[in-house]
This record gives sequence, structure tokens and C-alpha cells, in this order.
Amino acid sequence: MKRIALIGNPNCGKSTLFNRLTGLSQKTSNLPGTTVESTTGQVKLKSGTVELIDLPGIYSLFAQAEDERLVVSTLLGIEGPKPDAIVFIIDGSNIRRNLLLVSQVAELRIPSSCILTMADTAKRRSIDIDIKALENELGIPVAVVNPRSDKNTQSAILSLENQTIGKIISHNENFEPRLRSFYEGNKERGLSEETLKRYTDIEKIVKKVVISSQTRNRNNTIKIDKYVTHPIFGVVIFFLVMMALFQGVFTLASGPMDLIETAFGCVKMQIDEFLPNGMWADFVRDGILSGISGVIVFVPQIFILFFLIGILEDSGYMVRASFITDRIMRKIGLNGRSIIPLVGGFACAIPSIMATRTIKNKRERLITMLVVPLMSCSARLPVYFLLISLAIPASSFWGPFHAQTFVMTSAYFAGIILALIFAMIYKIIGNDKEKSEFILELPTYQSPRIQTVISQAWIKCRTFLSEAGKVIIVISMILWALSSFGPKEAMKNAHLKAVEMTKINKVDSAQIHNTQKLEASYAGHLGKFIEPAIKPLGYDWKTGIALISSFAAREVFVGTMSTLFQTPEDDDQVKGIRTKMQAEINPDTGKPLYGVPYAISLIFFYAFALQCISTMAVIKKETGSWTWPVALFFIYGGIAYIGAFAAFRILSHYF
Amino acid sequence: MNTTANHIGINEIYEIRSLKENDLTLKLAEMGCVPGTEIVKLYTAPGGDPIAFRIDSYILGLRKSEAENIFVKLSELE
Repeated sequence: MKRIALIGNPNCGKSTLFNRLTGLSQKTSNLPGTTVESTTGQVKLKSGTVELIDLPGIYSLFAQAEDERLVVSTLLGIEGPKPDAIVFIIDGSNIRRNLLLVSQVAELRIPSSCILTMADTAKRRSIDIDIKALENELGIPVAVVNPRSDKNTQSAILSLENQTIGKIISHNENFEPRLRSFYEGNKERGLSEETLKRYTDIEKIVKKVVISSQTRNRNNTIKIDKYVTHPIFGVVIFFLVMMALFQGVFTLASGPMDLIETAFGCVKMQIDEFLPNGMWADFVRDGILSGISGVIVFVPQIFILFFLIGILEDSGYMVRASFITDRIMRKIGLNGRSIIPLVGGFACAIPSIMATRTIKNKRERLITMLVVPLMSCSARLPVYFLLISLAIPASSFWGPFHAQTFVMTSAYFAGIILALIFAMIYKIIGNDKEKSEFILELPTYQSPRIQTVISQAWIKCRTFLSEAGKVIIVISMILWALSSFGPKEAMKNAHLKAVEMTKINKVDSAQIHNTQKLEASYAGHLGKFIEPAIKPLGYDWKTGIALISSFAAREVFVGTMSTLFQTPEDDDQVKGIRTKMQAEINPDTGKPLYGVPYAISLIFFYAFALQCISTMAVIKKETGSWTWPVALFFIYGGIAYIGAFAAFRILSHYF
Repeated sequence: MNTTANHIGINEIYEIRSLKENDLTLKLAEMGCVPGTEIVKLYTAPGGDPIAFRIDSYILGLRKSEAENIFVKLSELE
């Protein structure tokens, strides 16, 4: 199949066009052994089906950011075969800078054609381009497309049919070998002179093809920006937007999440009915299905947050958020561009760590990656919910604050503050030879293109499913084995004890059996084994089991607690666990075992500790070694331990 | 009236004269900051840094320290 790469500047309408042309046939593929990802899709043409490759937008082939380098490696055929043809996407309202890239790629002698986008916005700006003259100058077919309206997809498809090897716009000796050497990390001299020369040559083309360009009208964008970047309004708008983002996620995600949980509950009941009772039914239900449902239940939240972030990105606001936060970010060793991965971290760290590839400076990128896991991701939320509702009555106020809201907000801010502190520490420790750089285009505001936003949010979800999904399911199976099997003698005793208890209490025997079994199992032994280590934090061995099981995904905590406290799954889980937990008394203090100090200590632990194996695996992939993930595991784990200990000790005086 | 881009007033029309030779030169040139191009300071982020400029026909955000590398003169084009 013929492979055609789409090449263009950022914000030129490339992804929209790609979405429109390929529709639902899109897929992202990982190149073997790397996290380098490219999106491909198929288009049916008269001459047969072609594969379209969507590459990140770039300004120049002499690229340094990780996502930009992907374009160069694709065009040079370094990772996988070279594309058979190229389609340039050129923003008609910004033709000089767009032609710079064309002039570079033209020297690679790959058959090409060109799509000129945003012709209508260009016209509004009184820029008129002579298409025939442009075809003549570039030596390749040029089509005009307005990517925001459906009408002209036909002409876009035409430019997929025919490509020719274009003219050399600006000749430079040994371009390809020099580009290859630059890609491999060798410094090249004279590149800025070469760029200036290219612009001089481009100016000659522009004189011939641009018929008229009078006013450059970006008035609306500039008017909006006066507010968005205002010292007071700008900051207020930023916080309002962030608050709306979270409020939106909380309100929109709970419905689909409940639906998924109910659906899996039904499937489990079906299994109970159709599979003979025994180990295999157990394995399918508690090992595999629990793992799968634990993965899928997060998809709505992750999708909705990335959808909302996508709307902010596509409309042009996110770039402004980078613009206004850069000054503060820079002080703590980050970059304005870090804001997007950091906000994404509230949904899921995995795609967000991958999103750091747009940060050119290696140290700033590393620091961003290292602090993203401190953002409270969606898996922590159910844990926070359970613990807060366990220990704090909904009606209680601490001073002027609603206690439950206060603790929830504190958990989020605790993560953010620790991230800021760590960013600063990393900044001080690391030595930075590379210069930090901002240089960011502020695109014209536009109404977000929903189709593009949806498909990009879906790509993030798929990243989560493929990266975290596998790990979570495997760990869930291991945990099932650990909690189903145990030393023979202990398991036997547990069974006998359960039978006895059932006789005395005349209650649901299955629940009692499960609890006794879990206590006697290897997981139970493990929980008791680590109990001395977690006792200072106010946790018992049951919490220990839940903590260990959290390595699959943090929210597994809730499920494990529900097994430990014998709450039927189809009931209101949180309510059931809560009632049972509140009855437990700490034999040492005589106070409730699972009180406010316990809950808050555990919330701090979850806020800080790096418990997600999938996140560690992604950091390993992106940094190339296990050094950082292992270091983070111990550093954040240590902080979590100390923080939880301090919280428990201090709060024990008051509650 | 020769100065660097970080010093110009808002909405005054300048023209790029040259770029300071250093690590940023290539990137700035690639972004269209080439001699002869019109440059206008539009607004700044809270705290005055970074600064948004209109370069040719698009908006570019630059840190103060980055704008220092662009030598400009008052535009004679008008």
C-alpha cells in the first residue's frame, strides 16, 4: 500500500484534514521497542487504498523536541521505511514561514503535492494567492481546501492521487547528509545563514504568488488576548477555566462510571450462574473480570478530562495558559509548555508523561515527567472518596470549611505543592548545559473542532488501555492467586473457623468464608508481614493487604477493603464498607481504628506514593532506564511514609 | 532608533534588522524572525514576561531574554 505522510506547521489544520480524510480507520502504532507513536489511517482513492500518516506539526527539519524529531526520522527512513509520498499542508495566511519547511523537505526529493488551507481566513485578511503561479514555483500540484467545511474534501483527495518531485526552492549542498548528521546530534554550522538564504529565496516566490495582502487582521484574537493575558483578569480566567475543567469531569464522568460498574456486576452474576462454582469461576470473576472492569471504569474520566483539555487546546486557550504560566514555571525548573502534561496528570499520568515530548529542553522535560505522577490522577479519586466518607461526616465543618470538601481539596493541593517543591529540588540538583527555551506560536482563536478533539482524546484513552491495561490485568490475576491460596494448614483452619462462625451468627456464609480465607491466604500473610512497618502510620494488616493490592491500580484499594469487610458487591459498596469500618476499635488507643487520623494519613500516602507500576514503566520507556522510576518509587514512597506518619501522629492528638 | 525587541512599545511598528548570533538564532530565524520582517509588540503575560509579538502575520510568544536577541529599527514601510 502506498504510504503518504502529511507534513506541515503546527496549527495549519493538518490534523483536522487527516481526521476528515481517514474517518474511523485511524490507528496509532508504536514503533517496535520505542514509545514513538504515529497515527495512520486509510483513504480509498480511485487508484486504490493509500495509508495516510499524520505526523506532529513542525516548523523546520532541524528539530530538537522529541515529537518533532519523529517527523525527521520518518522522512529519512530511520525508523521504518520512508514514506512513498508527501502531502504538504500550507497555511495560506502565513505563507512565508510555511514555505520554509517546504523548501527543506523539497531537497529530500520525495514525490509531493500541496494542500493550501484556510483560504477563507486568508481572504478575510485580504491575502489572495495565485494557485497556478504557486504550482509553477513549487513544481508540485496545489489544491485549495478549507479544512473547516466539508465541501472541498474532493480537491484534497485529488492531491492524494498525484504527487511529483518538486523544484528545489533554495539549493544547499549535501542537505540530506547534513540533516542526518544533525539528527544524530552533531552540531551543524551555518544553519541560520542557510535559513536566512531560504527566506530570501522564498520571498521571490511570495512576490510572484501573493496577489494582494493589505491588512493583517488578527484583531479579534488580539482583543481576546488582552483579557486572557491581563495581569488580573488573565489569572482569574486561568483559575476559573481550571475549576470548570475539574467540575466538568466530576459531573460528567460519574454517570458512565456507574453504568460500567453496573454492567460488570451483571456479567459477574451471569458467571456465577453459568460457571460451576469453584476455583475457575473465582478466577474468571475475581482475577480477570475485576482487572478488566478496574481498567475500563477509568475510561470515562480519562476521556472526559482529555476531551475538555482538547477543547481548550484546539480553541487556542491552552497555548495562552502556557504563555501566562511560563514565568512561574521557569522559576521552578519547568516550562510554560509543562502546563498541558501537568493538567493531564489529573486524569492519568501515562499519556501525560508521553505529552512531555513537546518540551525541547531535556532537563525541563525530565522534571515535568518526574512531577506529573504527583498530580492526583483519576485512580486516586475513589480512594479519597471512600476514606473521606469513612472518617468525616458530610455535615461537619472545620472552622469555616466544609470538612469533606476541605480534605479532598487538600489532597489535590498536597500533590501540587509537593510537585512544585520537587521541581525546584530537581532544578537545583541537575546541571543544565542546555538553554531553556519558550518561543511559542499563539495561534488565532477558533471554535474547537469536535471531531478532532474526540479522536485525540480517544487516542489518549487507548494509550491508557494499552499501557496500563495489560499491567493492571496481570497484577489483578497475581493478586487473585495471592488472596485465593495460602499455606494449607492456615486455609483449613480458616475454613473451619468460618463454618463455626456461620453456625453461631447465622449470617451470609459466603462472606464470612471469603474474609476468613483472605486472612489466611498469602495476601493475608503479606499484610501481616508488613504490619509492623505500617503500624506507625495507624494502619492494620487489612490496610496492608489493600496497600499491596493498590500496585495494580490504586482504586483496587476500595475493592480489597470491601472483601475484607464482607460487604456484598452489588450493594452500595462505599456505604457498606463504611458502616463496618466505623465499628472497629484500635486495641492500643481504644479509639476508633479507622478514624480521622487514619483516613487523612492514608490519603496523604496515596497522594504522594508512586504506586502505579504502569507509570513507572512509561517513565522507564521515556527516560531509557530504570534509574528514575526506581528512584521515584523510593523518594515519593519515603515522603508518603513520613507525611502519613506525621499526619497520623499530629491528628491523633485532636481526634 | 535601533534597539532590541524587548524594549519596544506596544503597538509600535518596527522592522527586524538582524539577529544576535547564538544558540537561539536558528530557531528564531526558522520562526520567521528574519531581517526585513515587520515586528509589533502586542501584549505581555502577567509580570511582563513572556511577550507576544506580531511577526509578519502571526503571533509569537517570546521570553524577554529571547526577544533581546532581535535587533529592530522603526519601520519605514508605513
